[in-house]
Order: sequence, then C-alpha cells, then structure tokens
Amino acid sequence: MIASTPNALCFGDEFPATGAPCLIHVEGHGLTMTVLSDSDANKRRSESVPFSELTVSAGGLDHDQLVAAWRGPTGQRTLYLKNPDVIRAFRQAAPDHLTMPLERAAKQVRQVRRRRRMTWGIIGGSLLAAVLGLWFGSDALVELAVDRIPIEWERKLGESAYHDFLARQEVMKEGPAVAAVTEMTHRLTDQIPENPYTFAITVVKSDVINAFALPGGYVVVFTGLMKKAESPEEVAGVLAHELNHVLQRHGLERIVKQLGFVAIVSIVLGNQQGLGGVMKQLGVELMTLKFGRAQETEADLTGLELLYRAKIDPSGMITFFQRLAEKDEGRVEWLSTHPMSAARAERLKAELALLPRREAVPFSFKWETIREK
Amino acid sequence: MRSEILYPGAFPMVRVELAEGEHIKAESGAMVACSPTIDIESKMEGGFLGALSRKFLTGEKFFFQTLRASRGAGEVLLAPTVPGEIVVLDLDGVSEYMVQKDGFLAGADGVTIDSQMQSMSRGLLGGEGFFILKMSGKGMLLLNSFGAVHKIELKPAQEYIVDNSHLVAWSTTTTYNIEKATSGWVASFTSGEGFVCRFRGPGLVFIQSRNPGGFGAWVRQFIPVTE
Ligand SMILES: [Zn+2]
Repeated sequence: MIASTPNALCFGDEFPATGAPCLIHVEGHGLTMTVLSDSDANKRRSESVPFSELTVSAGGLDHDQLVAAWRGPTGQRTLYLKNPDVIRAFRQAAPDHLTMPLERAAKQVRQVRRRRRMTWGIIGGSLLAAVLGLWFGSDALVELAVDRIPIEWERKLGESAYHDFLARQEVMKEGPAVAAVTEMTHRLTDQIPENPYTFAITVVKSDVINAFALPGGYVVVFTGLMKKAESPEEVAGVLAHELNHVLQRHGLERIVKQLGFVAIVSIVLGNQQGLGGVMKQLGVELMTLKFGRAQETEADLTGLELLYRAKIDPSGMITFFQRLAEKDEGRVEWLSTHPMSAARAERLKAELALLPRREAVPFSFKWETIREK
Repeated sequence: MRSEILYPGAFPMVRVELAEGEHIKAESGAMVACSPTIDIESKMEGGFLGALSRKFLTGEKFFFQTLRASRGAGEVLLAPTVPGEIVVLDLDGVSEYMVQKDGFLAGADGVTIDSQMQSMSRGLLGGEGFFILKMSGKGMLLLNSFGAVHKIELKPAQEYIVDNSHLVAWSTTTTYNIEKATSGWVASFTSGEGFVCRFRGPGLVFIQSRNPGGFGAWVRQFIPVTE
C-alpha cells in the first residue's frame, strides 16, 4: 500500500485546473507518478517516466518549485513539486543536464531572498534607529555616524563649500592682515597633537563681523572681525575656537543631525557617496550651520587650552566674547552661528583661573597698523 | 467537519458542523452564532510577532478566534463583514494559496496561515500591502470576497490579466508580474494609478466582481461635506 499523502501537483488536460494531487517517487532511472485524486485506491493510475523524457525548470510564485514536464500516454503533463525531500532525491538521481537549470534557479532564488531580506533589514534598521533615537536622544547615534565618515570625505565636502563661498567674495591674497592671521593660525596648529587636518586660511574683505571654519579645516576670517578686535589675542581666541569646531567635527555632527536618521542609517550602512546629494537636496548650508550649546562649550574649553599651549594670552578670547555679546550695534554675524550666552564667558574665566600662570609670547606684528589697513 | 453555505448570493452565511473535539480558526468578528457546546478562544496565530505584523502590516485583525467543540458536537454560523460571496476550498496538503488581506474568513485547524513578505515592487504596486497570507496544509479553507467570486483556471503557460484591486486568492503554482495598466484599464480611485497583474498558469486565480476601493470612492460622493 502506497502512502497516500500527496507530495506534488500534476497539471494536464485530463486533470482539474487546480492540479491533481499525486505522489512522486524518484528512482534510479526516472520518476513514478501516482495520481491520488481518485478516492478508490484500486483505480489509481501510475505512470513511470525516464529522466530522458523530462524537461525540468524552476517555477511557481517564488520560483522555488521543481517543474517537470513530459508527454504522457494521454497528453502533456506538468508537475509542480516543492517537497524538499523529493527535490533532493531528484537532484541526486537525475543526470546533470537536467538538474543544472534547477541549480541555477535555486541560486537565483537565494539571491532574491537575500536581496529581499537586505531591503527589509535596511527598512527595519532605519525604523529601529528612529525609535532608538527617540528613546535615547540622538546624540550617541549622531556621533556613531560621524565616526564613520572618513576625513577625506569631510575634506571634500568642506573644500567644495569653501570654493563656492570664496568665488562670491573679495579675497585678500596678501598683505599684513593675511600674514598676521597666518601667523596666529600656525602658532595654534603647531600645538595640535596628531592633527589629521591641513588647515587652509583665507582673509575675506568684508565689514561683516564673522569667521568660520568648514569641516575638513577650511578657515575664513572677515576683515570686519579684525577691525572689531582690539588685540591680536582676541582674533586668535576666535580662531582657536573655530579650529576646535573642526577638530571635534562639530559641523559634521550638525549636518548629520539636520539630515536626520535616514542619513545616519545610510552612513552607518556604508553609503557615504549619497550623502552629499541628500545635503544639497535639503539645502543644508555649511556656512549657516548653527552650533549647539554643548558644542560651543566644548570649542570654548578646548580653544582656551590650545591658546594656553600656544602661549597666547587667553584673556583676549574672553574679553572679545564679552564685547561681542554686549554690543548689539550692527549685527555680529558670528553670533548667529555661535550662540553666545553670559555663562560662556564666565565659564572660560573660571577655567582660566584654574590654569597655572604662564608667560605669553607676543606676536611679531603690530596690531594697530593692521587694523588701520 | 462539514460546511454548508446558506443564502448564497450577496449576503451569505456559512454553517460549519463540528464533531466533538474539532475546531476551526475564524477571522475574529466572523462568528454570528453557535451551539452552546462551542468554546471561543482568542489565539494569536503565528505567535505575538506574527499577530502584530498581521495587524500593522496587512490590516488584518489582531486575533484569530478558535472555535472549539469542546463540550460536544455543535455548529457555528460565520459571516464576512462585507457583502459578497463565500468560497470553500479543500486544501489537499500540496496545494497552497496566497490570500489577499480581508480575503480570509475561516480555516480548519489543519490549515496553516503564514504572513509572507512580498518583494518591494509587489508590495508597493500590487495593492495588497507588503504582507499577504499564505495558506497551506490540509483541510477546509473559507474565503470571502466583495461581490461575487469568479474563478479563473489557468493551464500551464496560459496568461490572464487582472486588475489588482479585484484579486482575492491565487495558487502558488502561478506566477505574476505587475504591470502599469494601459489606457484601456480604468485607474482605481484610491491609487489614481492603475496596476494590473499578468498571471501565468498553471493554477487558479480567484477574483472578486467588485473593487472595495472603488466602491468606497463611489459611496463618498454621497456623503455631504461639512465645512
Ligand atoms: Zn562656536
């Protein structure tokens, strides 16, 4: 007595459109099919087909079924089976040229499944990141994402913004102001251990009171800011602060935060090229990125330390910040991207008081002559 | 287990007779009446996550109910929410069907219900959502439709084109491609964009004679807008 659990469906003219449930046995020379649709076991029809008469392919909704077709005694037969045991037995017994299309299809199915799993994985991952971000605040995720951005990519990002910006400005190529800013910057950058950035400094002729540093180390100082400063130490203070925004990668953190979780996920999953495009789409302007309060404090404190190491009097930084915050006469552009608070100057004063006194080394130029120009 | 469709046509109901100890899984809300010997258990088919994914991703109700004749033989009366036909399929252990959400009414306990993820394109364009139900196993399966059910029988390699909003169920021996409807097809009200499925046999495709989304849009035009 043959076990009566069907393991395949047979289609053909004399069978119902649903396919007739049948039992397939794989033997050394071919298949034996027993149609089980008749309830009377004595009337069951059996049919044997040698492998040589079969054509085999993969089919069905997910292309994971073995489809075998042949010409039977009473018409064309098409067999659909997905029972793994039978498929395995078939692959072992049948000649290679028959199983080859099957192996190819199986490989394709695996690829499709993997791709589908990956797509859903990315969707799931984005959702998870969004949920985690809402739960734990996004800062940890932002830092994780920023860590994955290579310096080289950051440099390209800053460079293109830098050139775009300078193309619309009156750049000072040489002169005492450029020499002074270059000297200040070198005094500072010489004190940065293991500096991965090469800083580029440009002085722009403009009355706007501003200075900024783009990701990757592109620093711009406006002559307006230099006019406002009463000593070179004040300008150096702003520079030290700006350099540390770069070193701490604050700009990148802001970008990632603004672009949101899609960007985070795409960076974490290794898609770095696409981010520049996303940024353009969302219209994130590097020059107008507003830093956060925590970032300001960090840049202040590390800036103070840098000034101290470079033997530049840090009190210049403090007095300049205080004066910029006090005077609202003529908008101070710098404050719009570096939000000032009374606590900032106080905090710097307190930090400075803790440092041992150290003799400052003056700059080689005379500030008054530079200011006049 | 025996079933009988009462009042065939637009407003049918199905009577399922259960021997003592037998049970049936029904879409929650499908039960209309039952003998006092029947116990109702709410069970989460496919575990909690399975139920959750069905709930959120297919819009299926969270639970299936298990109706069990635990205290003697009895009968249950089941009916779908929408007007339309009920179809009885007898799963033989090898035939499998994909069923669009809302198409499932009830299944014998030997019937296995799986939520299956579709590929992105099928999920986005097919209109059945990203998850559909896969029915396998052995025993009676009850499907319901909006309007009448029409069965399309496809021979091997025979093709047929169906508006996706009319799909109810199809055998897994078929394959289909989603295509943008050509101008002759009326775009569905809800999607605005018409998509059709080109099915290729062998196997069965069950379609419904009415389109729920289209009907909804038709009804909405009579609802006065308050401003
Ligand atoms: Zn700042």
